[in-house]
Amino acid sequence: MLWWALGVLVLVAFTAALYPSIRNEAGFDEVIKGLPESMKVIVGYDPNVPVTSPAGYLHGRLFALLAPLVMLVFAISAGSDAIGGAEEAGILEPLLAHPVTRTRVYVERYAANLAMLTALVGLFALTVIVVAGPVGALEGIELTRLAGGCAAMLVLAHVHGAVAFAVGAFTGRRGPAVAVAAALAIAGYLAQSIVALSPSLRWLRFLTPWHAYLDRNTLVYGASAAAFVIPLIAIAGAVTLGHWVFVRRDLR
Amino acid sequence: MTTVVEARGLRKDFGALRALHGLDLSIEAGEVFGYLGPNGAGKTTTIRLLFDFIRPTAGSVSVLGGSGADPAVRRRVGYLPADLPVPRRHTANDVFDFYGALRGGFDRRWVDQLLQRFELDPTRPVGQLSTGNRRKVGIVQAVAHRPEFVVLDEPSSGLDPLLQREFALLVRELVSDGATVLMSSHVLPEVEELADRVGILRAGRLVRIATVDELRQQARQRIELRTTGAADCAAFAALPGVVDASADGNIITITVEGSVDAVIKVAAQFEVDRIVTHETPLEEIFLGFYEGSQ
Repeated sequence: MLWWALGVLVLVAFTAALYPSIRNEAGFDEVIKGLPESMKVIVGYDPNVPVTSPAGYLHGRLFALLAPLVMLVFAISAGSDAIGGAEEAGILEPLLAHPVTRTRVYVERYAANLAMLTALVGLFALTVIVVAGPVGALEGIELTRLAGGCAAMLVLAHVHGAVAFAVGAFTGRRGPAVAVAAALAIAGYLAQSIVALSPSLRWLRFLTPWHAYLDRNTLVYGASAAAFVIPLIAIAGAVTLGHWVFVRRDLR
Repeated sequence: MTTVVEARGLRKDFGALRALHGLDLSIEAGEVFGYLGPNGAGKTTTIRLLFDFIRPTAGSVSVLGGSGADPAVRRRVGYLPADLPVPRRHTANDVFDFYGALRGGFDRRWVDQLLQRFELDPTRPVGQLSTGNRRKVGIVQAVAHRPEFVVLDEPSSGLDPLLQREFALLVRELVSDGATVLMSSHVLPEVEELADRVGILRAGRLVRIATVDELRQQARQRIELRTTGAADCAAFAALPGVVDASADGNIITITVEGSVDAVIKVAAQFEVDRIVTHETPLEEIFLGFYEGSQ
């Protein structure tokens, strides 16, 4: 956790430190405009928001891919460890020989998991404010928009963390938990790219948590309600199902 | 007498494998019950059923009159797993504090006293401890709250003889304070000194329940006599209790059921250099039971 926090600090500081050097490079925007459509999607390009503006820069460099990716990897790793990894390491049986119920172990490990991810995203948001502010990389970005974007990122990462947690509770193993959650993340991201590039497949957008998160620059327009509603339903479903199985099955 | 463990027709299948075939077993309050069997016989499966880590395929088991799933029951039980995994950087004190907190506190003075008896430094990270010392952490952890019922899975493996004595003393103390003990093992010597009754498990079936004295009379021993002169096994073969006698060079190997008295007396006629007795694996000691049940 300490190393993750340090990594987030360095990532944000490094990104912010580069901002002053590109803010006045008008040519940079032209370069991006000349990119093929698929590349623009990857960097989260929006024709109305110049990439040299604070919101365009932070979105492209952090919010569109790098920051959610870091949060996602952390969420999947911690989520799969919480029950699947612990059970594989033989920690759950000695624990459950004590006066605690399986439900309590499940709920407390889930809560700890969510708390860690929230702390990491919180630290990220705080670092953006503290580091990006002084170099002018926050100009024109409302604090509520920033908070909304970070909250949407938290939810996006947590969908995958919750799936990893639930699959771990299902199987008692870390491997399948990581595999399923990672596969979901990759499939979801690909689906989002397809949706962005081919309007005929727009119906796919309901199947991927990435769409609601990426379909707009959250720092300019704020996060959409869909970025919360659909993932929260998925999280509730995964966690409930995981619990149902965990209290009924044999430990491994 | 009240019954601490009551298993009725307890069966457990893992897929196609039947680990327990309808086990019937009662452990009475205040006794030390030795649960013996070769590896894979179903000892740990039984213990895991007691604690509700796994659920029976058929039959039932109760612990202290309730279910092992009930926290109120678990509060009164202590458990030494065959292996207690602890994150490497945690100290023994961390372990006691963590599990103690789950139980709503523990007797610190009693734990300190145990640590002293077992010569364990509780401030060192568990990752730096030897296997034997990690075992001690498990033992102290299992009895820190003075449980009414203690389940010990292969308790003294990894302990040196001196500490095995200390461990035996501890078990006797717990019992004289009213505790009931279930200890599993795959070797008879580990439990024969402490157990009142022994249950022998083979391939998921309880083939025998007997007192330790009864078992001693029937258990087989293997003795090796190393003679200076030529070895002759014929003198032993006909003795009462001798199951098998063979000679190889100047080594005579004799397998005896029950008392070895007659064998020793005949051996006196030879010029015996050394006598070696082996810690015979349970499979062989109780071959009689096993063969009989096949």
